[in-house]
Amino acid sequence: MTAAGAGVARVRPAGRALLGLSGLAGLLVLVELLPRAGIVSDRSLPPTSRILAALADEAATAAFWVAVGDTLTAWAIGLAVAVAAGVAVGVLIGAVPVLRAVTASTVEFLRPIPSVALIPLAVLLYGSDLGSTLLLVVYAAFWQVLVQVLYGVADVDPVAEETARSFRFTAAARIRYVLWPTALPYVFTGVRLAASVALVLAVTAELVIGAPGLGAVIAVAQTSGAIPTMYALIVVTGLIGVAINLAARRAERHFLAWHQSVRGEVAA
Amino acid sequence: MRRFITGMTVLALVGAGAGCGSSEDTGAAPAGGVDQVKVGVIPIVDVAPIYLGQKQGFFGNRKIELTMESGQGGAAIVPGVVSGQFQFGFSNITSLLLAQTKNVPVKMVSNGVASTGEAGKDFGGVVVRKDSPITKAADLAGKKIAVNTLKNIGDTTVRESVRKAGGDPSTISFVEMPFPNMPAAVEAGQVDAAWVVEPSLSAVTAAGGRVVAWNYVDAAPNLTVAAYFASTKLIADKPDLVKRFTEAMNESLAYASAHPEEVREILGSYTKIDPKVRASLTLPKWPVEINKPSVETLSKLGAQDGIFGGATPDLDKILP
Repeated sequence: MTAAGAGVARVRPAGRALLGLSGLAGLLVLVELLPRAGIVSDRSLPPTSRILAALADEAATAAFWVAVGDTLTAWAIGLAVAVAAGVAVGVLIGAVPVLRAVTASTVEFLRPIPSVALIPLAVLLYGSDLGSTLLLVVYAAFWQVLVQVLYGVADVDPVAEETARSFRFTAAARIRYVLWPTALPYVFTGVRLAASVALVLAVTAELVIGAPGLGAVIAVAQTSGAIPTMYALIVVTGLIGVAINLAARRAERHFLAWHQSVRGEVAA
Repeated sequence: MRRFITGMTVLALVGAGAGCGSSEDTGAAPAGGVDQVKVGVIPIVDVAPIYLGQKQGFFGNRKIELTMESGQGGAAIVPGVVSGQFQFGFSNITSLLLAQTKNVPVKMVSNGVASTGEAGKDFGGVVVRKDSPITKAADLAGKKIAVNTLKNIGDTTVRESVRKAGGDPSTISFVEMPFPNMPAAVEAGQVDAAWVVEPSLSAVTAAGGRVVAWNYVDAAPNLTVAAYFASTKLIADKPDLVKRFTEAMNESLAYASAHPEEVREILGSYTKIDPKVRASLTLPKWPVEINKPSVETLSKLGAQDGIFGGATPDLDKILP
């Protein structure tokens, strides 16, 4: 990650944004041309222009913005719960070696369970409400954070730890001044991963369960055979994903400005 | 939030989570004498009467405040009703019969939707591509046909179409696929035929596809396709609410039957069906009475195809 960060930093930010946009423009042109050239049926993949027209129609309705709001609410609450729980549990497990040994196999057992496999349980507990979406979002995002925090805690420099002990730092102080600064970059990586996963699961839950939000509107468009509208809504989820990723990176740079992964390597 | 934490605890303990919903409240506590009622529906043409009835005030008149909860394919509906998240739900008859054979405590409370009973003018049928060699139901034998759910109303009625036409239904291979994906799958030749309902049916015929079998019409005269249902617990605990819901539903069904133009208009409020398709698609029928002989037929067809796993649905327990 450090190397990638340094490499990207060499391209000027304006140039980088331009490159990103040109890639997007290429995709838009491709989607416009494929159906027009008859390579794919325009009933299955409408050209960009029709998708954008459908998007404009949608954006003019209040229901669309309510759905966007519902999805973002589920995402934000779910992510916040997952991050808080992931950090708390991660620091606790990481700081107590016995706990780590006891939970290691359980974590590895629970972590690969796909969140969507919990849909029947979610429906049973919460019906098709926000709770169902949250259950799926939190379950998926929690592990991303937890695992990163565990790595972060394991990365604490033993010399620093020993030094803090020699100076009779309390447990709380050791967590605050030794463990936390070491773990923080990992925490942010976890948050960034969790933020994307949380969005995917929020939309999936809405799509499958019918909890209010963009996913539910996509499902309605799908069952109605409103193909351009369906793609328009999918584009919206993509845009939200990009925005979330940008915001997460920005937050990372801001809060880790002191850290060498953001500052760039200092020649040893 | 507390229930949410409970949920996460359940997960953390990897407990037998499936038992946890049974103690849910029914959620229908009267607020100022008005019952808040949630109905699990699928956002398709079939449920237009309940939306129309809501708009016309048939439910409000009876002190019922409706909220529709719609999910794709309705995977959440039966468990939602059983656990008390929804007071009522909409489901096809075969699914309800299947639930009955598994002793799921649900019972129909009103009719849902019925076939028009007219070959050539029904809201669902088996379609093929324009240039397909299949021209009649008997030709479907030995072919690959898409249905939305396996071992359900689609494949049992399609088999009956083929059987009645003199073909061998046991040679058909069915594949599962959501309705909206079927027009593209038929077009691309991934399947030989697909059982579709409106509005996908209009999409296929608009692209030049042909209907080769009207499975609902072939299965039984004036087939009842789906019904509204409730948990037996709600029926026992709140008979008055169920009675009012049934009355409101019956009034809505009758109103929808009498006002097809208003039905086409209300579709615009909860679906995103193209206005042109909305104006031309074939509407189903919404009789007030459940056609019991047709339910018996579906039960027989299902048992014949082995979808109930050897059990026989007890119709007295599932019919209202």
